[in-house]
Amino acid sequence: MTHTQAPTRRAKSAPPQRNEKLKLRRAESRAGYAFLLPWLLGFFVLTAGPMIASLYLSFTNYNLFEAPKWIGVDNYVNLLSDERFIQSVKVTLTYVVFGTPTKLLAALAIAMLLNSKRRGQGFYRSAFYVPSLIGASVSIAIVWKAMFGDAGPVDQFLSFFGIGLGGWVGNPNMTMPMMILLTVWQFGAPMIIFLAGLKQVPAELYEAAEMDGAGWGRKFASITWPMLSPVIFFNLLMETINAFQVFASAFIISGGTGGPAGSTMFYTLYLYLRGFGDFRMGYASAMAWLLLIVIGIITLIFFKTSDKWVHYSGDEK
Amino acid sequence: MGRSLKTLAFHGVSLILIAVVLYPAVWMIASSFKPSSEIVGNAAIWSENFSFDNFIKAMDGIGGISTLQFFGNSLFLAVASVIGVVFSSTLTAYAFTRINFPGRKFFFTMMVMTLLLPFHVIIIPQYIVFQQVGLVDTYVPLLLGKFLGAEAFFVFLMVQFMRNLPKELDEAARIDGAGHIRIFCSIMLPLMKPSIITASIFAFIWSWNDFLGPLLYLNTPDKYPLPLALRLFVDQTQSSDYGAMIAMSVLALLPVLLFFLIFQRHIVEGVSTQGLKG
Amino acid sequence: MISRRNFITSIATGVAAAAMLSACGKSGGSAGGGTVENPTVLNYTWWGNDDRAERTNKAIALFNEKNPTIKVVGTFTDWAGYWQKRATEAAGGGLPDVMQWDLSYLRDYAKRNQLLDLSDVGVDLSTFDKTLLPSGRVNDKQYGVPTSTNAFAIYYDPAKLKEIGVAEPTGTWTYAEYKKFLTEAGEKGAGKYNGSTDFTGIWWQFNIWLRQNKIEAFTSDGKLGFTKDDLRKWWNLAADLRGTPAIISSDKVTQLLPKSPFGSNKTVSEATWDNFMAGYLADSGASELKMVPVPSDDPDNLGLFLKPSMLMVASAKTKNADAAAKFIDFMVNAPEVGEIFKTSRGVPASKTQRDGTTFDGVDAQVVAYEDSISKYLSDAPEPPIVGFGTLETEFLRIQEELNYGKVTVDQAVDQWFTSAEDVIKQNA
Repeated sequence: MTHTQAPTRRAKSAPPQRNEKLKLRRAESRAGYAFLLPWLLGFFVLTAGPMIASLYLSFTNYNLFEAPKWIGVDNYVNLLSDERFIQSVKVTLTYVVFGTPTKLLAALAIAMLLNSKRRGQGFYRSAFYVPSLIGASVSIAIVWKAMFGDAGPVDQFLSFFGIGLGGWVGNPNMTMPMMILLTVWQFGAPMIIFLAGLKQVPAELYEAAEMDGAGWGRKFASITWPMLSPVIFFNLLMETINAFQVFASAFIISGGTGGPAGSTMFYTLYLYLRGFGDFRMGYASAMAWLLLIVIGIITLIFFKTSDKWVHYSGDEK
Repeated sequence: MGRSLKTLAFHGVSLILIAVVLYPAVWMIASSFKPSSEIVGNAAIWSENFSFDNFIKAMDGIGGISTLQFFGNSLFLAVASVIGVVFSSTLTAYAFTRINFPGRKFFFTMMVMTLLLPFHVIIIPQYIVFQQVGLVDTYVPLLLGKFLGAEAFFVFLMVQFMRNLPKELDEAARIDGAGHIRIFCSIMLPLMKPSIITASIFAFIWSWNDFLGPLLYLNTPDKYPLPLALRLFVDQTQSSDYGAMIAMSVLALLPVLLFFLIFQRHIVEGVSTQGLKG
Repeated sequence: MISRRNFITSIATGVAAAAMLSACGKSGGSAGGGTVENPTVLNYTWWGNDDRAERTNKAIALFNEKNPTIKVVGTFTDWAGYWQKRATEAAGGGLPDVMQWDLSYLRDYAKRNQLLDLSDVGVDLSTFDKTLLPSGRVNDKQYGVPTSTNAFAIYYDPAKLKEIGVAEPTGTWTYAEYKKFLTEAGEKGAGKYNGSTDFTGIWWQFNIWLRQNKIEAFTSDGKLGFTKDDLRKWWNLAADLRGTPAIISSDKVTQLLPKSPFGSNKTVSEATWDNFMAGYLADSGASELKMVPVPSDDPDNLGLFLKPSMLMVASAKTKNADAAAKFIDFMVNAPEVGEIFKTSRGVPASKTQRDGTTFDGVDAQVVAYEDSISKYLSDAPEPPIVGFGTLETEFLRIQEELNYGKVTVDQAVDQWFTSAEDVIKQNA
């Protein structure tokens, strides 16, 4: 990367002195660690320790009350034959695959709609963000059930087109679409990030392109997309990770049961029930680390392929 | 003509979308004025029995503690969270994107890794750490992580935005002899405004809605924030007052909405207005 | 924009505030006897809504007034959060001194040495009915003292029955008559009302039915006391009602949650504990609800018992065992406390408290019900086996799948036994 550029430039103007260079590099290191200090502290005290602890626990039988008993890979082996675990994997994957792209598309579309200098933008932005504010509240369970219940607005709307499905809430085949709509509805966070990203795109670029007679599609493909790519990358990664780890909404909507008939038994909900409901924290830790590995691999793939489509204007051109 | 037609279309589309998206919110607000028995499973918005009873009940407080106290606690936690998050995430992101030091790549990878672990399994070890040092039932466990950048989401968010800022700016400053502190404070921070505002909004809202952290770390009801108080209206083992719960949810929504309304406009002021001309 | 100076000042303020808070957080709970100037601090925690918080705070204030050398500090959360918090605290070794407790979790915590044996620390147990105390006992140690009791009942709404022209049940009935009642109510309810929720999905009613057949659910060495056949019989008991109007569909039940179908005026009857009366009245808006005993094919053995609706326990690690015992004694025995809580915790368990409390309205109705069944009562069940919470949720979950038609009764029985055996093996 280009961080050493400035020092080398200066070194060039003076006779090449290795000591000088070394000193600069040391100063650079010191500055780096100085800036990183708060994070390093937090990492070692709050995160790394507990993470290693949970890795250790995943190889034990730990009931929270007594000292953990080492049992090797038993927890991991038992997972493979646990039907409810497998059900939770299926539920979660469906949610990730269908929910995440839909949510991001909605967020990007609305962000672009709102990224113009028109009156009332503040109102629109805020209005579109309201669902994300409500979504975290415990009241959402009652709200969502009213929306998707028998003769609720969704049912009535669909019946108008002759697709009477009845209430979605109590129908195990319809609860997943309902959960996906719940996350799509809360597109506020990625929308705001997209908006902030769009605002960081220098207006001059569009002006120049317009002067060249570029249309909407060309502007999107050659300016918006590349300039926004770091933010798209961020949103995609974060929303994927979040979708894998979805807990709060699943817990609230089903009252912590994963019902009806196991149709909302998400991975982390099952992990929670195992750890805190059954006091099998070793088993829960094994689930957590398995999830970490899977998301880790996906993240790695994202990062590896990002070279091809993510463009950082702060990096070397 | 074409322009005003476009504007009209824009408002039309926006309003239709908002009507769809906000319907549940409208239902929720309407329900906060209904008696409890008319709320659950009732999709209608209108009711003959609209009243302010739920709000009166919600403002009554719980267990002798006034609702305003819960609001105050939530507000303190949220504001402190914003300060902590902005402080730690900008510093960390600067180190990761603008300084070249050995171990950078390694720590960056570690930072991303911390995003991947479901929080339920680190709760117990983390709790034990705070308990050993006697910090349970204080706000420290809820805030320390924010000041130390333990919420990797924010660090990563800042990194993505900072990496996208043209490097010519700080290079020029370096040639002028500016150190990292000066570059960070006088060049980076102003340019990062949209992302700092974004992070602040999230930090505020997430802290405002956080339930699990306060549940585990706070014991004294005087210190409870709103989400803890809210749940006391609905108890599975006793009668539940959904009306009061929804009313309090609506009230709890107002400060965040206000916070959002005030700060969202600052996202609008993009990079180009900051006099960025290469 | 945050200027640099403001920025740094804010951080400094934040840090200072955090430091200050941490200093304030350290409570002055010292070991040994307290004095009026420097009282022993006793932490007490409970779950419940704001109504319970108010009543409990009143009781605590009264206790503090009477015992100036002890200062009880109360904390509370909702039911779901309560147990996660206790588990976390137990893992960290810091449970509060005194806690409100539930029968389902008693053995889990007692067996892991988290709770204090209250046999001889000064809690007066002589005021309790001998049949009730075993429910707080694990391995011959009295870990929990019941505050109050509840008994199982079939609720019905007389107004709704009148509306659809179904006779009120008398309370002496067999399962066949019970099912006939549900069927009739479901048919005459004509889509507006169903008979009840599927009564075979409730663990405790199964437990009562087992007792009617002279079977204990669990053996004293922590194993299952019933066979697959027993469970199969039980779940088959409602087989011909599932999918008919007699029983409300799981689909509808799920939609109504967190409210019960009975509380939402969708069924005319419901099988559950007698202390839910106030909640049902509030939820449904009905002017009157009545209770009768559960059906039994043996009119002399209804299998009924009083279950502690909640217990008081103390942490094994408390430094103030004497003060804790004093407070527990006050909470379960003092007549004034009975006056404060009435039947909101259940009917007071100790004789002193029950006799010292005046009941009227709904409270009187609940007490009258428990009096009416007193001749049928047998010993309260011992604390369920370790991991019972899991078994109970599994019972409900699998029975729900049964109602959705996802599994047959045979498959459901196999599923439940598999997870039960797993739980028992895990906690052996």
